[in-house]
Amino acid sequence: MRRRFFLAAFVLMCMAGALSAGRYVVPFKNVCGILASLLAPIEPWWTDIQYRVVVLIRLPRVLGAALSGAALAMSGAALQSVLKNPLVSPQIIGVSSGAAFGGVLAILFFENAFATMGCAYLGGILALFLVWCLCNGARGASPLGLVLAGIVINAFFTALISLIEYVADPYNKLPAIVVWLMGSFASASWDKLRYSAPPLLTAAALLYFLRFRIGVLSLGSEEARALGIDIQRTQWLVLGLVALVASATVAMAGVVGWIGLVVPHFTRIFVGDDYKRLIPLSCLLGTLYTVLIDTLARTLIEVEIPMGILSALVGTPLFAFLTYRLMKGEEGR
Amino acid sequence: MNEEKEKTGEKSATFCADKVGFRYGLRGEWLLRGFSCSLPKGEIMAVLGPNGCGKTTLLKLLLGILKPVEGSIRRGGHLGYVPQVSASAFDHRVLDMVVMGRAASVGFFSIPEAEDYRRAENALARLGIRDLAERGYARLSGGQRQLVLIARALVSKPCGLVLDEPTSALDFKNQDLILSALRQLADEGLSVVMTTHAPHHALHVASRVLVMENGARHFCGPPEEIVTTEQLRRLYDLELKTLRFEHRGRFLNSVVPIFS
Amino acid sequence: MRAKIFVLWAAAILACDAAFAEPILVTDQYGRKTELQKPAERIVTVPIPAASMTIALDEGPSRLAGINPSAKQALKEGILSKFFPKALDLNSDIVMGEGFSPNVETLLNLNPDVVFQWGDRGSDIVKPIEAARLPVILLKYGTQEDLETWIGMFGVVLGKSERADKILAWHREERAALDKAVSAIPREKRPKILYLYRYGDGIKIGGKGSYFDYFIKMSGGVNPAEDAPSEGQINEEQLLAWDPDIILLNGFQSSLSPDDIYANKNFTGVEAVKNRHVYKMPLGGYRWDPPNQESPLMWKWLAMLAHPDTFNWNLRADIARAYSFLYSQTPTDEDIDGILRMSMNAAAANYGRFARASN
Repeated sequence: MRRRFFLAAFVLMCMAGALSAGRYVVPFKNVCGILASLLAPIEPWWTDIQYRVVVLIRLPRVLGAALSGAALAMSGAALQSVLKNPLVSPQIIGVSSGAAFGGVLAILFFENAFATMGCAYLGGILALFLVWCLCNGARGASPLGLVLAGIVINAFFTALISLIEYVADPYNKLPAIVVWLMGSFASASWDKLRYSAPPLLTAAALLYFLRFRIGVLSLGSEEARALGIDIQRTQWLVLGLVALVASATVAMAGVVGWIGLVVPHFTRIFVGDDYKRLIPLSCLLGTLYTVLIDTLARTLIEVEIPMGILSALVGTPLFAFLTYRLMKGEEGR
Repeated sequence: MNEEKEKTGEKSATFCADKVGFRYGLRGEWLLRGFSCSLPKGEIMAVLGPNGCGKTTLLKLLLGILKPVEGSIRRGGHLGYVPQVSASAFDHRVLDMVVMGRAASVGFFSIPEAEDYRRAENALARLGIRDLAERGYARLSGGQRQLVLIARALVSKPCGLVLDEPTSALDFKNQDLILSALRQLADEGLSVVMTTHAPHHALHVASRVLVMENGARHFCGPPEEIVTTEQLRRLYDLELKTLRFEHRGRFLNSVVPIFS
Repeated sequence: MRAKIFVLWAAAILACDAAFAEPILVTDQYGRKTELQKPAERIVTVPIPAASMTIALDEGPSRLAGINPSAKQALKEGILSKFFPKALDLNSDIVMGEGFSPNVETLLNLNPDVVFQWGDRGSDIVKPIEAARLPVILLKYGTQEDLETWIGMFGVVLGKSERADKILAWHREERAALDKAVSAIPREKRPKILYLYRYGDGIKIGGKGSYFDYFIKMSGGVNPAEDAPSEGQINEEQLLAWDPDIILLNGFQSSLSPDDIYANKNFTGVEAVKNRHVYKMPLGGYRWDPPNQESPLMWKWLAMLAHPDTFNWNLRADIARAYSFLYSQTPTDEDIDGILRMSMNAAAANYGRFARASN
């Protein structure tokens, strides 16, 4: 418990560090002053532009990345347990591509960031509904059936996205679609955060409180049912929350892949499959990882580096190293 | 037909089935029909039968996961389910695994409390495996895993246990471990229903044996009446011999199949 | 004597015949040679700017058989659909979807003498045309040199080399004059000009090696993004760090206007925003951002905005003169207002100088 407290403090410090990093130079003491001025009235010694950079540009972006990372990592961990399969991620149940399709459709027909967000939510919900229909509705399905349904829905929406890209006007619409699909927190703002943070926070909190149920479900539906819990209700509640997280993230930052799969695995390397620690720690590590990657993406060079590229470049070697050590350890036993 | 007619409504019975019939769907074959049987407290009932005769379905009916199509089953209390040991995708700590037996009484958005953990530790202690509490479940031997699953069923304070082939994946030593544990639990007043493919296990621990045959036929009674050479030969459609011999003052029964 | 006359006559006939029948040999920007028996009568242009280029060299769209749907959109938004309403009836079914993948069956139906295609976007968009045995000329996108090569090549294909030379001479003359004038401006007096290739979900700029970088420098500006990748994506903070004096908004996003930049409160401290130096790129016979036949007009437009005290041409007269040469048409005052996007740029500083003479 104490270790987790220290880790949380460390994550907060990293977020403060991320706030002082950027292309526009703001001295660290000014960043501290600006942050303090949000809480208490302080006579400013910083310029107005510095204030705008920290409060209007960096803060919503860091918060957005932190929230999305935390929620995505928790969803990934929960989904892996509920579907009894360590290889699934929020993308596999088709919700991300459903949300992406909604967003892309909105870009094609409207030119309004909030229409894009709204349609992303609708698309995500539609995808989950289709998965639910494929699984025979309330009668439920096995984890395998769910994964299969997810793959089918995912493929369907991916095809629809390709179709839109194919017919989109190459000057007016296509570049916007491509940028949006690539996934980036570059356009995070307080306005976007206002519509994404409540669902992300709600879903993350519910997933945290559901952690015991999620652990029980990881035993498999037969066993879980014999232990006397209503597995359909838990399963669809978790799937619904994952859909909410995926849609909210897609709405804010486009398709941010990889986090939901990799962070829970990082976490498993440290704490095993212990559900009590897996979900809270996934939350902290997801925050840390996403904030770190996003900070690198916006500061390394003059232009933004796409999140997916950096995430894979930083994540894969680290992941490979940890896996290697884990396997070596298992051999030795 | 050697059907055993018991008085239904016996107060001390663990469960009491009255003319139960079951089939999947509306046109499925009857797996069970006219099944009446009850089990008094503190007794062990072994269920024998060839693969696919509906043993697991019977267990699900007893647990209430499936509802009978005809007739009724009344239970004297909650029955704890012990699944067959299988490879787990995730490696939970043994104590966490056992505490999941309390799932039904833990609130939807809560986690187990100290009391639940105390019960889990007691259940482990009752089976003599308290020292495994902190170990990873996936790293235990088959016998240890089966004991952990039994402990998990115990934390829900059941009046009886329902076990699905608890010995089938185990070696001799571990078979002995599990059977002794079951006998000990029965001595403490817990009823046990277990399916098995080993007639000598039934002869060793069971006070009652239920034989299920394909075609919804069944017989129930004391082991020495039911587990006879004739019956088994018919049941498994194989030549076999029952042996009875003395070892250090104990009389032992065993069944030897004559493989072609 | 009679024999001599006969020989001369025969020689003349032969010479005429040879001159008439001599095939036209075109070498494209990828070194591929195409032979045409005579100047092309039916032309299909897959690259978007090639449509208006053909119209400029041929003084009309009569020899175009098919154009890119996006080129048609540009014609519709711009002035050429007014000059040549028939251009809107052109077949634009020549690509699949909205990219550059040729729709070969349509091409075969159109039976073109030559097809223009991009050469820098992979062979998948070229091979199908070649497989249908249609002559293909490949174009390369990018620099002023490439543009000049295009003009020469289109002149050859259309049999209008003289006209092409005139256009080229105009380009070179204007460039030389501007280069000379700009070289006299000290570096510290050159404003920082940032071209936004996209603005919306993500900001893209004109960086290293782009035509945008080229025209910013040629018109006497400094490109703060000169070291960034050509069409790289930046964040708002980077824009603040660069703090440009002038921001140019691309002409591709039709609804993007300077007001979108002014409305972003994160940008209030930026020089270009403070001084209302955000301008929307004009749209004439084609969008003025990429290299095209009207580019010299764009250089002068930008030079006048970058150095209002140094350069003082009558741009409206220049436009009218160029259009009567390129398209044999005289634009009205309203047309020129539209080309210069007077309404979108109405609030911008220094833009009044492009307004019609008030009399």
